Parts: sequence; structure tokens; C-alpha cells
Amino acid sequence: MKDRKENAVQKVEQSEMTRTGKEYVPAADIHEKDDAILIRFDMPGVTREDVDIRLDNSELEVSAKQSEIKPEGMDLIMGEYETGVFRRKFTIPQLIDRENIKAHLRNGVLDLELPKAEQAKPRKIEITTGA
Amino acid sequence: MYWNDPRAWSPFDELRSLQREMNRFFSGYENGTAMSRFPALNVWGNEDQVVVTAELPGLNPEDLDVNVVNNQLTIKGDRHGDKPAEDSVCHRAERESGTFVRTIRLPYTVENDQVTAKYENGVLHVHMPRHAATKPKRIQIKAS
Repeated sequence: MKDRKENAVQKVEQSEMTRTGKEYVPAADIHEKDDAILIRFDMPGVTREDVDIRLDNSELEVSAKQSEIKPEGMDLIMGEYETGVFRRKFTIPQLIDRENIKAHLRNGVLDLELPKAEQAKPRKIEITTGA
Repeated sequence: MYWNDPRAWSPFDELRSLQREMNRFFSGYENGTAMSRFPALNVWGNEDQVVVTAELPGLNPEDLDVNVVNNQLTIKGDRHGDKPAEDSVCHRAERESGTFVRTIRLPYTVENDQVTAKYENGVLHVHMPRHAATKPKRIQIKAS
């Protein structure tokens, strides 16, 4: 009986742990160069340590937890936005050189550079003319 | 509550913020993103000071213009759309750019010359101490 109760309590605690806050989809710009794919995200209130970038085969997942702002000893008079977690997944069609992925965070904007693998880069085909 | 100025509250503002929240929750980047024409603000306060925060990613401090007159705060700015690389092709552009402006009424008049603003990780914080003349004063009652 007691065990069951403890289990139930634990279960509730676990289910509460699955989500730390609201999840938001960050706005993203996607650009492509000959040798790389560039993705830029709007992620205000995120520090370098809070960003998590994973590339699993062809699926890229970016998540970042916003730092919560709560000035001490003050009440919220007007709340128009909430902080939470940014999360977004993409499927990358090209082969990516995963050793050389670069990420840069500045003023709440995350820039990702995914260099294409050698075999995925465009190649100029030389045309030979028959003499 | 001391900050409740009946003129500052409007049911339309309430509805707009509810709509913004819903849009942001369901569709993410469309409408009501972190960045919009009229940025969302959070206002914190107590008897002595007000703090306003706004999510404004990808700006330089010189693109931002913060003005305070008595009890009105105006936040203006311009976000320049820039390409990550010169020779790149755009596949998707969700991030908005352009000018934005927002004016709000603060719960009380603030000390204009003691207002400080900080821009960190794409979040603007404006810190405003209350004007001394508007602070509540305790009146001593003398017994005759």
C-alpha cells in the first residue's frame, strides 16, 4: 500500500519533470551557399551554455532554454510574453561534414553553419568536344 | 493596488496580449514572435521602481531608441535584414526585419535622468526609479 502510494507520487513528479516550461518554435532563416547551409534563429534571452545542437543522421535538432527574468522584490504588472524553451527540428537532405559544424550566438541570434560533405558539393562538369 | 491606474488598463490590451500568446503558442514563429512591429513587453514593479523587458533579438544597441517622458516609455528600433553570406541563396525567411515601436504608460512618473537601459542576449531591460515627488508619504497625525 505504502509502496504503491510512493510510486504514484514518484510518477506524478516524473510527469511534471518532462516539461520545464512552454515550448516555442524559433523563427528561422535558411540560406544555402555552394559549400554550406546556413541557418539563423531568433533566440532572445539564451546564453551559450543553454543551447543544445544535435545532428542525428539527417535530423538536426536545436533547443535552447531561455533564462528567466524575475527582478527581485517586484511584481509582474503587465506580462505579455513568457519565457520557455525554443525547440526546432529540421531534416537536412544533403550530407553534412559534421566535424566542421559551426555555431555562433550573438545578441540572441544563433547562426549555424553546416558545411556540406565533399561528395555533396556541386561539381562543375567539364564538357569535352569531339575533335 | 497602488499601481492600478484605471486609465492604464484596457480590455483591448488584455485581448491583444491573449491573442498574441495563443498565436505564439500554436504557430510559433507566425505572428506574435519574439520580434514584431509592436514588441511584447513585460513590466515589473514595486513601490520604488519599474523594470520593463522586451525580447528584441539581433539588434545593435545603436539601433535601439529608448525614451522616457514622465510616465510614458517609448521603445523604438530598426532591425536590418542581412544575409548571412554574400553568395547565398535564401530558402526560407521567417525572421522579420524593419522598424518597430511601442509606447506604454508606466504606473507612475519616473526620474527621467536616472533611467538605465541594458541590452543583453537580445533582451532589452529598462530600469526606471520612481520620481521622488510621486512616492507615497506617510503622514504623521498629531494629537492635540
